[in-house]
Amino acid sequence: MSDRACDGDLGVAVRFGADEVVVLLSGEVDSINAADLQLLLDALIDGGHRHLVLDLAEVTFMDLTALRVLADTARRVRQPPDVMKIRSPSATTRRLFDITALSMLVDLQAAEADAPPLGPEQTFDAPFGSMAHRSADVPDDLAVFAVVPAAAGVIVDAALEMVTALARATVGGADGVSVTLTRRGRLTTVAASDETIAQMDRDQYATGEGPCLAAAAEGRWFHVESLAEEDRWPSFVPRALDGGIGSILSSPLMVDARPVGALNIYSRSERAFGSREQELAALFAANASAILAGSGASVVGEEVAQRLQAALGIREVIAQAQGVVMARQKVPAEAAYAVLRRRSSKSNIPLRLLAGEIVASTHPQLPSTGNRS
Amino acid sequence: MTEQVQLHEQGRQDAGLSHAELWFRYFELGGMSTAIEVEAFLYGALVPTTHDSNLIAVALNERFSELGRNHPIPYDEEEDRDRAS
Repeated sequence: MSDRACDGDLGVAVRFGADEVVVLLSGEVDSINAADLQLLLDALIDGGHRHLVLDLAEVTFMDLTALRVLADTARRVRQPPDVMKIRSPSATTRRLFDITALSMLVDLQAAEADAPPLGPEQTFDAPFGSMAHRSADVPDDLAVFAVVPAAAGVIVDAALEMVTALARATVGGADGVSVTLTRRGRLTTVAASDETIAQMDRDQYATGEGPCLAAAAEGRWFHVESLAEEDRWPSFVPRALDGGIGSILSSPLMVDARPVGALNIYSRSERAFGSREQELAALFAANASAILAGSGASVVGEEVAQRLQAALGIREVIAQAQGVVMARQKVPAEAAYAVLRRRSSKSNIPLRLLAGEIVASTHPQLPSTGNRS
Repeated sequence: MTEQVQLHEQGRQDAGLSHAELWFRYFELGGMSTAIEVEAFLYGALVPTTHDSNLIAVALNERFSELGRNHPIPYDEEEDRDRAS
């Protein structure tokens, strides 16, 4: 065990454990001290430490340079069985990870106390917490995603939770939404908008029948306009009526033209779903299918990672140019962006190049990184 | 806003950009919404902020520029002006 601190406002402590190295960061990680962090992480990897845990519990600020360091490191340790885990990111950092899809490269974990060694699925702190709740009986079912890094299955679930939340917010008449997936040969609810809805899914698994199971098995949608008048699924229907459900719309989730699950939309009212709702349900089912289809190697592929790296660089340059305009013209951030946009539009110079020129004009010694090859 | 949404989705198709590619370009420009959210903007399932809407327009117009065309997607200047004044 040894400790070391870097310059500036960044605090770093390194703990060497039997199986992993924990790097505890505190304070601000910015473009100035991110280089120190990079040196440290490189040294650890070069020293043969391939199981890294970055604890961000004490980090108060992290800029895009820092994020790029993490992305670089994540890519270096991406060969199994090497892993890099991020522990206790703040909500903002977590959001940044999600937006940049860096969350697909790393294993994001909740605070250490909340993270018993049960596997990533159990330790995951859902980013959309209040909008969606995982069903209580999450099994140890990472098998479907075994070919991708452990975190990917979790991230896919998070993405599906977002689809669920979006579907509920936008499909008229929807009182609840769930996503059901086949994992290890049996159906599991991976996202549900509330406990009643999770129970509706469980009732179908228990009785072995229902629109969700039918959609997942047959690969076409099933619409229960009025549960009271429904004569299919005699074991499940009474349970759903007891649960106060009036109508159900189940759309299949397809990967490689094969059904792998269903997106289920429940309403307390009868005949809640018309053609527009069916259309929207199909859209969200297609979205969920795309997420599942993309959860293979392609999503975490080298090309995407490099593209994101480049994009982060371009964003930095644009943000710097925006800062220059804010200072020069004494305008707030969005107005400064509008200035850049209008100037770019008028001169027909892409915004990233214009931003590079502006930044270069203030720091002639710095090379512009705003070029796209 | 509905009109703008239709213009953006039509523009995306005319520009030959996939949703993923459009998001990448939007993200490069500084956008802070996820790929799924941007896709939802274009379907009208979520309503973008003026800034987000303009970022999507920039991404599309720069693509049209690469294709040797004008900037056909209009910007919403209202909020920018309000904030600038």
